[in-house]
Amino acid sequence: MRVKSGRDGGSTLRFALLLTAASAALLLAGLAAGSDGWSLAWTDEWMLVSEIRAPRSIGAWLAGALLGFAGAVAQGLFRNPLADPYLLGSAAGAGLGVVLVLAAGGAAGASIGLAAAGALLQAGLVGAAFAGALCGVGLTLLLARGAARPMSLLLCGVVVGVLLTALSDLVMLASPEAMRGKQIFLLGSTGFLGWTSTAVLAAVLAAVLPAAMRVSRALDALVLGEASARSLGVPLQQVRLLLVGTMAMATGAAVAQAGLIAFVGLVAPHLVRRCLSVAHGPQLALSAMAGGVLLLASDIAARTLVAPQELPVGVLTAVLGGIYLLALLHRRQA
Amino acid sequence: MNGTAPPLQARGIGVTLGGVRVLDEVSIALPAGCWTAIVGPNGAGKSTLLSVLAGLRRPDHGQVSVGGDPIEALAARERARRIAWLAQQGEADGELAVREIVALGRLPHHGLFGAPGANDQRAIDLALEAAGATAFGRRRLGELSGGERQRALLARVLAVQAPVVLLDEPTTHLDAPHQRAVLCCITGLVRQHAAVAAVLHDLTLALAADRVVVMDQGRIRATGSPGDPALHAAIEAVFEQAIVIEPIGRTGVDGTAGTRWVAVPAP
Amino acid sequence: MQAAGVRTAGTVLAAATVGLCMAAAPAMIPATAATTAPAIDLVDDRSRTVRLATPARRIVSLLPSSTETVCALGGCDRLVGVDRFSNWPPQVERLPRLGGLEDAQVERIVALKPDLVLATSSARVLERLDALRIPALALEPKTLDDIRRALEVVATALGDPAAGQAEWHRLSARIDAAARRVPPSMRGQRAYFEVSSAPHAAGAGSFVGDVLARLGMGNIVPASMGAFPKLSPEYIVRAQPQVILASDAALREMPKRPGWPALSALRDRRTCAFLPNAYDTLVRPGPRLAEAADLLVECLRTLDEARR
Repeated sequence: MRVKSGRDGGSTLRFALLLTAASAALLLAGLAAGSDGWSLAWTDEWMLVSEIRAPRSIGAWLAGALLGFAGAVAQGLFRNPLADPYLLGSAAGAGLGVVLVLAAGGAAGASIGLAAAGALLQAGLVGAAFAGALCGVGLTLLLARGAARPMSLLLCGVVVGVLLTALSDLVMLASPEAMRGKQIFLLGSTGFLGWTSTAVLAAVLAAVLPAAMRVSRALDALVLGEASARSLGVPLQQVRLLLVGTMAMATGAAVAQAGLIAFVGLVAPHLVRRCLSVAHGPQLALSAMAGGVLLLASDIAARTLVAPQELPVGVLTAVLGGIYLLALLHRRQA
Repeated sequence: MNGTAPPLQARGIGVTLGGVRVLDEVSIALPAGCWTAIVGPNGAGKSTLLSVLAGLRRPDHGQVSVGGDPIEALAARERARRIAWLAQQGEADGELAVREIVALGRLPHHGLFGAPGANDQRAIDLALEAAGATAFGRRRLGELSGGERQRALLARVLAVQAPVVLLDEPTTHLDAPHQRAVLCCITGLVRQHAAVAAVLHDLTLALAADRVVVMDQGRIRATGSPGDPALHAAIEAVFEQAIVIEPIGRTGVDGTAGTRWVAVPAP
Repeated sequence: MQAAGVRTAGTVLAAATVGLCMAAAPAMIPATAATTAPAIDLVDDRSRTVRLATPARRIVSLLPSSTETVCALGGCDRLVGVDRFSNWPPQVERLPRLGGLEDAQVERIVALKPDLVLATSSARVLERLDALRIPALALEPKTLDDIRRALEVVATALGDPAAGQAEWHRLSARIDAAARRVPPSMRGQRAYFEVSSAPHAAGAGSFVGDVLARLGMGNIVPASMGAFPKLSPEYIVRAQPQVILASDAALREMPKRPGWPALSALRDRRTCAFLPNAYDTLVRPGPRLAEAADLLVECLRTLDEARR
């Protein structure tokens, strides 16, 4: 469904409207997708709709939007259509953060008493996942000595990913309780998103999207190659740092609130680029919207496909994303 | 900017890469309204010289000045407004529309945070027109043929409207008519008093320039007008081959009077 | 069979390793309200006080051991939903299944309008239930002592604090009775109890270890290593346990593990294999540990007879 670029901006606007309409329709569907099948008796079950389905649906959209945005930044930054938001060690960092807090909570429970450990856990896990993701990316930047060379940044991302995962394993060896907790915490799931999570996700999206869009012309310039972008006076070093920062924030927030959700960040920007040719500024915004639509649609499917049981949404996105990429590959070969 | 200083001047440039002297005491000035072609065998240091002139590579020693100002004293954006640079067989590819690509040429003018104004749009239109890229302005770069792609990238350089234009092999992979179109663009720039330097592989194309610089092993071996016999001798010397350089016709590429030269390996 | 064994092992690990802050006392606080209907204050593993206006009438349990605890205290008919692993007593099989610890279905739980949810501290659902002001307790016993406290907390929630102590005394008495039947030759024998083939063991610091200790058995994994530590396979071979206890499926494949044929307990068949249902009673920290103690003693007696 390629939108032909007829008029300047016209196709972009049409695509944005399409995504907005899809988001609105899915949000309505999200409010109606109950645990016992579709239900529009909202007045009778107002509590369920306002306190569970609404924050969950909006939260799923926002988490998807953050992942779609982060994916678009990653693919633009690395000039690689297979780049995804978890590339720079954020996933492994989040995992390590969670494991450390769980292990510390276990150890603290023995020494400083339950009350303190309980409080640590309560506030700690979400914050730890977020901080861990940022630290993972920070470590990658440190090892790559800045964001100047994308290739070494990518390699360092892989190294940091392996390193931090190994560290998590090590911690889990010392305190096996943490393993189960990490598994529970990082399973991609939209089921536990409440209004607080939604507010956090919205705040992060509101901060990173405009910031990245302001420097998005630098991503356009990078299409010409590194040297050409520099010849245009683009302060690549600073811009890359800023973009990596927004990417880490977005990924960290999404992981902390909804666990590891596969493929949304990879597929959303793909979808946008397939449908229309557009500069990175609108591309970032549209990828965010597409990511939101994808994850919300997956969330609704996860809720309704096997109702009254529920599928973990991360499993569903992995399957759908895999199918999409396979289809893409098949079409390329054909 | 100093009124009397040449738009771009380099003195005593030396660059060493991995123990090899890639540029050795190179001095060159690019006057306004003049097209300089740079020729030489592979590895002569042509592209390195161009990237030093563009301010993209810091020489180990020597000094580049732009309109009299030391190049390293210029802010990146100011430098980008004064020098436009076209990469050798650009890695550019992807989903961006040609017009968006060309619009990047205005980035030094309105800045990363600014938006293109009416002025910029006019410059983009002019550049597309001059490079003959208007017809495919809305198509994606990745979908274009080699010739169209090169014209789109050239239009991007023209859109900068810089007083100095540096082109690294702008005619590679182009067929004869498209090569001619590029030369037309260059002469257009020169008429607008730009200082143009182009690295060229094709000797016949290079001999259409106002001035030819012959490089070999990191040094400038000769500089002269296309008809200069000393220049012809230097070309033969650096390519280590007998090359016949002969005048033909009396019409330049843009229809103005002037001798055209062809260079072919001697039989 | 194999699949069932693996699944059970997974469940056990899930049940066994989630809890975090179990060392200090989640004891109940006596109700101090001076109103006509005294409120019930409950303190859970998070040291969080949950107040119930009346005894719980609609309970959701997200952990098999909690389900069994509620039922043992006579509250089975008050359960309105359970997790997908709860399978005892048989009547809970009819209840709505609300997912597991990592994917508990918030909306279905809320729709059941429970006045008490029993979960574990690391379950993400707790955060949501707190936000939705649904009373939720994190209870996940790791030791016999924790089991006593859990019994008391749940009994208090059900409105009959004395039942908790009574059930504890019954459980404790049955373990003691079982201990008296352990043949003298088996006393002090060092046991290896495997909870998963990683291998994870039930150490002396776990409720399984507690029961074994009450039966007079030793453990190759000291309490200092944690409740359910992951061991190197070599550790077990070097420790040369005198008795090996594991699920039937795990025991079958043990001789295939590199170096394990060197275990004299395996060679001499000094092993106790448990079928899934029996195994569940051993690894669920709840009132059924009484039956578990009997099962253990039964096996020890068989081993003793075989030795003669």
